[in-house]
Amino acid sequence: MLNIFYGDMKDAIYNTSAYFKFNFDKEWMSSPEVIQMIRDVDDSEVLGSGAIDSPVLGIIAPVSLSGGVKTLILIDKVPDKVFNASNCGDNCARWLLRLSEEREITVNLRHLMDFGEEPFKIRILNNNEVVSNMGELNRIAGGYV
Amino acid sequence: MKGAHHLVVQSAHLKYEMDIVRNITIIQGDSATGKTTFADMIREYVLNGSDTGITVSCDVPCRLIEGNTWKEQLSPIHGSIVIIDEGNKFVASVEFAEAVKNSDNYYVIITRESLQALPYSVTEIYGIHSSGKYNSLEPVYHSLYRIYNSKNVVQGSYDTVLVEDSNSGYEFFSGILGDKVKCISANGRDNIFAILNDRDSSERMVVVADGAAFGSQMSRVSDAIKRIKGAELYLPESFEWILLISDVLNDKEVQRIVENPEDYISSEDFFSWERFFTHLLVSKSNGTYLKYSKDHLNKAYLQDRLVEKVVLRLPDAIKRMLEKA
Repeated sequence: MLNIFYGDMKDAIYNTSAYFKFNFDKEWMSSPEVIQMIRDVDDSEVLGSGAIDSPVLGIIAPVSLSGGVKTLILIDKVPDKVFNASNCGDNCARWLLRLSEEREITVNLRHLMDFGEEPFKIRILNNNEVVSNMGELNRIAGGYV
Repeated sequence: MKGAHHLVVQSAHLKYEMDIVRNITIIQGDSATGKTTFADMIREYVLNGSDTGITVSCDVPCRLIEGNTWKEQLSPIHGSIVIIDEGNKFVASVEFAEAVKNSDNYYVIITRESLQALPYSVTEIYGIHSSGKYNSLEPVYHSLYRIYNSKNVVQGSYDTVLVEDSNSGYEFFSGILGDKVKCISANGRDNIFAILNDRDSSERMVVVADGAAFGSQMSRVSDAIKRIKGAELYLPESFEWILLISDVLNDKEVQRIVENPEDYISSEDFFSWERFFTHLLVSKSNGTYLKYSKDHLNKAYLQDRLVEKVVLRLPDAIKRMLEKA
C-alpha cells in the first residue's frame, strides 16, 4: 500500500536530486522497472548503465534525468528512506501506485498530487485514515498542504 | 523593480522564452518538461558566461540562488530576476518571504508546494510547454502556459456569495445583495477550503477572493470546486481593483494605471498587486467624500450611482443574484 505523510516531515529527504547524485548505483539502470519508468515519464531510452537517450537533451547521464524520475528510482531502490515526492509531477503518480502494489511504500508529499480516476488504496499517515479515491484523499490532504 | 521583462534563454538545442510580469512567478507541472534544465542553463550562464554557448537575453540580469547559503547569495543581488530551482526547502520559509518583501528583485520559483507565506497571483502560476525534438534544425522551444486563469466570468445560478475578507469587501457585497441573498465572510483566504469542504452540497455558491494573492490556496480550492459541484470561483485582482476599474473615482490617471499596473507597481514598495490597489484607492480617495478604508466600508460606496458602475463590472451570476435581492 502507498503511505503518504502530507506537509513538513522530519527526516524525509527533501532535495532528492542531490541525494541521487551522490548515491546513484549503476545497477539500478538494469532494472526493467526503472527502464520502464524512464521511458514512460521522461520519454527516454536507457542505452546502458551510464547513458540515456533523451528526445530533448540528446545523450545524457543518469544525473540529468528529470527530478520526478530520479525521485521514483530512489523510492523504488532505497526503501529504508522517505523521499519528498513533491519533486514528482502528476505523470509520476501511477508509478507510485504501481510500486506500492507489491510492498509498503512511504513518501512525503507537500502538494496535492493527482492519482487519477481509478480507485486506489492510500493511507494518509497524518491521521492514519485509508482512502480509496481522489475526493476522499484531497478532502483530507488539502487540510495539511 | 517594476514592469514586464521578456526573457529568452537559448543554447544550440534548447530555447526558453517567457514574460515575467510580477515580483513572484511560480513554475510547476509534470516531470520532464524542462524546469530544471532552465535553471541549469541560468546557473551555467551566471558561472561561465558566453563560454557556455548559452545566451540570456533580458533587460535585467538573471541570477540563480540555491541551498543553505541562499541569504549570502541573495544579499548582493539587486534589480534582477532571481531563479530558484525545485529542491530548495527555504522557499516555503517565513525568512525567505521576508527577503522577498521589499526586495527590488523579481523571483521565479520552481515548486509544486503551496507557498503560504508568499502572496502570489493565481495568474502567475505556470507550466512549461515544449515543442520540437533534439537534433532537429530548430532548438526545442519551451514557453510558459497559465495553469489557472483568473476567472472573471461566472455564469451559473447561485444562492450564496462567500467573500474572502471580513471588512470592506464583505460589507460591500452584503450591502448590495441585501437580505434575500445569503452573503458570508470566510474571515480570510485560509478558511475558504474548509468552508467549501463542509458546506451542504445543495448550497450553490460563488466564492469571491483576491486573485492577486490567492496563489497559495489555488491548488486545494480549485480541486474542491471541481470535486464538489455547485460552486464557482470569481477571482478579481482584489475588491479595491473592482472599485478602481469601475471608475468610481472618475480619475483618468487611475484608469491609465489599472490598464498596465505592472508599469507602476514597484516590488520594493508592494509585496503584492493587491496591496498596491488598496494603496492607490486610499491615496486617490483621501480628502474626498469617497475616502476609502479597508477596515470599514465608507457608506458612500453604497450609493445607487456608484453601485450601478461597479455592478457593470461584476460577473453575470452576481448580477442575477442582485435582481433577486
